[in-house]
Amino acid sequence: MLFLIILAICFVFQLFLPWWIIAPLAFGAAFWKARSGGHAFRSGFFAVFSLWIAVASFYSLRNGNILANRVGSLLNLPETTINWAIVLLITGIIGGLASGFCGLAGYYFRQALVVPEKARG
Amino acid sequence: MKIIKALLSSLVALMLVISLNTKLGDVPPAGKFFDPFRGFWKNAESKKINAERALKIEGLKGTVEIKFDERMVPHIFADNNYDLYFAQGYITAKDRLWQMDFQTRFAAGRLSEVVGPKAIELDRYQRRMGMSYGAENMVKVMMKDPEIKAGLEAYAAGVNAYIHSLKPGDYPIEFKLLNYMPEDWQPINSALLLKLMSATLAGGSNEFYMSNILNKYGPEVTKDLFPDYPFREDPIIPEGTKWDFKPLPLPPAPVILGKNTTAYQVKTRELEEGIGSNNWAVSGAKSASGYPLLANDPHLDITLPAIWYQIQLASGGMNVCGVSIPGAPGVIIGFNKDAAWGVTNVGADVLDWYTIKFKDDSKKEYWYDNKWNPVKIRVETITVKGGKTVTDSVFYTHHGPVVYTSEQRPDNFSKINNIPTGHALRWVAHDGSNDVRTFLMLNRAKNYADYRKALTYYSAPAQNFVFASVENDIAITPNGYFPLKWKGQGKFLLDGSDPANDWHGRIPAEQNPTVKNPPRNFVSSANESLTDQSYPYYINWEFAPYERARRINTRLAVMTRANVDSLRNMQNDNYSILAENILPVLVSLVDSEKLNASEREGYDIVSKWNKFFNADEIGASIFELWHKNLAKQMWEDDLGDPKVPMRYPSRDRNVELFLNEPDSHWFDNVHTAGKETRSDLVNAAFKFAIDSLERKYGPVDTDWQWGNLKHTFVPHLAKVAGFGSKFLNNGGSKSAVNAMSENNGPSWRMIVALGKDVKAYGVFPGGQSGNPGSPYYDDMIITWSEGKLNELIYLKSKDDKQKGIISTWKLAKS
Repeated sequence: MLFLIILAICFVFQLFLPWWIIAPLAFGAAFWKARSGGHAFRSGFFAVFSLWIAVASFYSLRNGNILANRVGSLLNLPETTINWAIVLLITGIIGGLASGFCGLAGYYFRQALVVPEKARG
Repeated sequence: MKIIKALLSSLVALMLVISLNTKLGDVPPAGKFFDPFRGFWKNAESKKINAERALKIEGLKGTVEIKFDERMVPHIFADNNYDLYFAQGYITAKDRLWQMDFQTRFAAGRLSEVVGPKAIELDRYQRRMGMSYGAENMVKVMMKDPEIKAGLEAYAAGVNAYIHSLKPGDYPIEFKLLNYMPEDWQPINSALLLKLMSATLAGGSNEFYMSNILNKYGPEVTKDLFPDYPFREDPIIPEGTKWDFKPLPLPPAPVILGKNTTAYQVKTRELEEGIGSNNWAVSGAKSASGYPLLANDPHLDITLPAIWYQIQLASGGMNVCGVSIPGAPGVIIGFNKDAAWGVTNVGADVLDWYTIKFKDDSKKEYWYDNKWNPVKIRVETITVKGGKTVTDSVFYTHHGPVVYTSEQRPDNFSKINNIPTGHALRWVAHDGSNDVRTFLMLNRAKNYADYRKALTYYSAPAQNFVFASVENDIAITPNGYFPLKWKGQGKFLLDGSDPANDWHGRIPAEQNPTVKNPPRNFVSSANESLTDQSYPYYINWEFAPYERARRINTRLAVMTRANVDSLRNMQNDNYSILAENILPVLVSLVDSEKLNASEREGYDIVSKWNKFFNADEIGASIFELWHKNLAKQMWEDDLGDPKVPMRYPSRDRNVELFLNEPDSHWFDNVHTAGKETRSDLVNAAFKFAIDSLERKYGPVDTDWQWGNLKHTFVPHLAKVAGFGSKFLNNGGSKSAVNAMSENNGPSWRMIVALGKDVKAYGVFPGGQSGNPGSPYYDDMIITWSEGKLNELIYLKSKDDKQKGIISTWKLAKS
């Protein structure tokens, strides 16, 4: 669920706003919905990982991966025929890490702010 | 505990996001760059092209129709000239915006603004050379010409209309890599790009080296090694052509040739021959069709995005096609239905250095014409990304800027090796001029008279303008602003206090060398001497070696029924006249008794070599290393003083020494006790050549082939890895018509067959798009490397239904 929420809102907001909007979005969504630190990180990571790879693939496939392969050389990857896929993977990881860590922070923030129900007495 | 966890994880997340949004050294902001919504992925252009597009653009006066052919060459049809140049600016920006931005910044000395402190020295150099100063002077002149002003402003408005239509995600990928934004285009940017051409083609100078040689060896030796006319020549204007004008009197030379240079400690470098352009036209008498043919291949340092941009421009009565410079209106090399023209570089001496004597260290006054004269100070302000703004004072005399005083000269900046300290620069590129008019008039030229008229407006960099018309006229004119000088003026450093050393006006434009319809039925140029020694004026003492010209002229002289293919074949001619001249002697001097196994094998190969620098020739590789090392062995001991930069004699003089002065003392190495002979050098250089190849590639094998050794490829303009071309296995050599080297070669090849229906062919090493993510970025490179040409589509009107048009854009005012 959290995975889908982050994926959907990041997609919508990224249409209008710079990439860093994923940070507060992942933070907020995890704050709201995460069940654990692991859940928050995984959902945040894989949501943006998938989103970025999906959107990047949309551009790359219609391009015949010309640019992805050139960026592969730019990144000093060894000459292979699958450099475009590695560049896609790197893209997903960069977005995923940013989102994952923000999700984690969101979850811990809630843990610090919200008093557990038991303790409320 | 929970609070610490929360704060710590937030801090980590925040730091991560900030660092992914920050440029770290040369690494672009990773989050921003990889973001598929706005980062580089957006530059991955679709391979599918929309057949039709309608655009509303603010600033247009009427409607414009643009047809794109299979290589995405735009064919622009406009209602009026304003809209035409507006659309040219718009569409060129669409394809080449970053290149235009970067080259202008480079020219103006403004790279530090976007790449930071590492470009400061380069920026200082560009400014101190007066690039912006020259561009400002040029704009002043152009803005006084209403037609040119309108063209430049329309072009700029078009570029800006395109820029304003972009969102950050649409910026060319290099902006994202370097993390900056495009800025608005101004007419001065067009001037800066033309100045950049002058810097490339007419910005070299030898006089510092020459003066050092004069000081070391005296006038006799200097004259002998560096004569004012080559040993072998095949001038552009055929020998014996009569001059039908009354020349102006030459200014008198000052009595004493100054011995006034102060040597500066810099590393000597071998003079690199950077040019290799060819053009020619054959008259109908020699062609199969009965109409003239014209060919041109201007050579430059090749880069991606490509130097040239193909375009067809039609409005009113004009309909011209060819290549343009991204950033300037009009077509630079091309044709229309009546005429065709092309250019090669002249290499005139239009850049001189004057020794300046300042009154005192304040440098407020300098000595000239027996009195102290005021110095003007121009303060250059360089904004530096991520660093402090640098200000730099440049002292201007009436000659021009003192490029470096001893306090201002940086250490370890190899670009300035040939610049003498404390000297003022007099350079034609500083003067106001209206060169754009020449091209816009050629675009409309119908006949020889129009061509001659157009040329009078041209100043720099001086070019050999070849011309052919459907009226069966052919002509060639080395043309530009040639200062009126005494013979040899500017071969050495000049005394800046003596008015006799100033430029004395110019050679009248109509007296520039020219020839129309010569009896041999063809005209040609290959950067060689302009004329025989009967021409009354001095233009330079040295031009490119005659080898390419000789080959072209020999072939054209015997050619009959010429067609496009025979001329294409000539553009790709790899035969070396240099090898023809010296290889037989070199081979005969090798002591074959003393060769080891590899050397013997190499000797057999090079002895049987056909003298063609084809990609698969091993003999070419051996010969190239051999003769280059020979020149080095011959001159390094005499002219290779690391404290006093000098240069080697020309290839022509070397050949002459080699063939006709076998006992010359120059063959001896002055650093050894014994006396070396010509034959000793030949043998040593031969062994060196074989050894180098063996060390690099192992035993004789296909790796030794010339294409592999030369290793041509096309690098990216900013040398971004992955954005250049792959290795191209092709032939060619500086001493062959196909003058190809590692990164220098034919930047455009064109052949035009005039006639009732003009037909033209062309190719350049790159593609129309400047986007490394476009299929049209480098789609012509293989065709170019294989020496083939594409047919250039020339639409007679926008309703001309030729095949090969894949997309049509309709532009209307909004």
